Amino acid sequence: MTLATGTTGLPRLIEQGRREQRALAQAPFHRWVFADGTLWALFYREAAGYLLRSPGLADFEVSADGLDVRGWAAPGLGSATVQNLYLNQVLPLALSRQGKLVLHASAVDLAGSCVAFVGVSGRGKSTLAASFATAGTRFLTDDGLQLEWRQGRLTVLPSHPSIRLWADSQTALIGDTTPVAPAADYTPKARFLAGNALAFCDQPMPLGAVYFLGDGEATVVKIEPMKAATALLELVRHSFLLDIDERDMLALHFEEISRIANLPIHYHLDYPRRFDELPNVRRALVAHIKDRVE
Amino acid sequence: MELPQRLTVPSEVMARQVGDETVLLDLASGNYFGLDEVGARIWQLLVDGKAPAEICEILLVEYDTSREMLENDVGRLLKELAAHGLVISNS
Repeated sequence: MTLATGTTGLPRLIEQGRREQRALAQAPFHRWVFADGTLWALFYREAAGYLLRSPGLADFEVSADGLDVRGWAAPGLGSATVQNLYLNQVLPLALSRQGKLVLHASAVDLAGSCVAFVGVSGRGKSTLAASFATAGTRFLTDDGLQLEWRQGRLTVLPSHPSIRLWADSQTALIGDTTPVAPAADYTPKARFLAGNALAFCDQPMPLGAVYFLGDGEATVVKIEPMKAATALLELVRHSFLLDIDERDMLALHFEEISRIANLPIHYHLDYPRRFDELPNVRRALVAHIKDRVE
Repeated sequence: MELPQRLTVPSEVMARQVGDETVLLDLASGNYFGLDEVGARIWQLLVDGKAPAEICEILLVEYDTSREMLENDVGRLLKELAAHGLVISNS
């Protein structure tokens, strides 16, 4: 059993070793399914909180208040699987039980302003963050972006100092000397650790802009303002909320999302998904942020 | 189109104005709905307790359109809202 104590305020993960994924009497109240129909996660209610199951991979028990998490790897799998699933999925969901707002987004410190890149898996959030970080622009998170209001300013909290990338992005962006975390069993993605070659910002920063990533159809870099109502629905779509049936939490979530949607900081961003285009994307974003500030 | 006499908004429906539009959240179903500027105005009048017929009279002053077209548009929106459980008929 290993104990991972996080930064103050983060849920505490306790790894419990390996365990068979026992059959459950109750039906799941929610499930995550990939576009191709692959079942990714099942959500169950239990007496003391929730059970989150990645079939064949791991089980997590999350306390009702989201402060404690226990994780079990499926037989034959290792700690890296539990750690990866915890960081990428369970942690944001546990934070949502605390009333915290977490988006499926990456974020970088761009000319003194934190900008977020929001999108579904595969849209390029992590690649874009890594493109900036390997060029010396600090990243704050590559996947789960926690927001909170501090002294009247919407603020991004830094997440785990690592970026997960597919092999093609690794080859294009990451040098051989960048440290790598132990591999998880369920994904070919590698987790690269922040350091000299991958610049990280470990301090909270005010959020300056949110860019929602398009599907790569654009032939040049395109940045366009997004209407507030569209931003609201996109923020809902890309935010973590463990218990979608709990009305008080859902109402609180809606209030927060609405407040954020009304800020004039939301944009569509699209660009050709080619690695040689990334320097142009970075330049366009730097120019866009500087224009906004001025 | 015949308009319902009076409608109420269930307590589990939340509405927030975002820009020129209004987004509704039905806490019972977890579904979200967007209303454009005109829809948002109709919604606000409903929340203020106006009956559908009153809403049409108010909008006829605010918008340059015919009574028939307005009543059809209002009726269509109210029917859609009712179909999703966002308003309840008191008739």
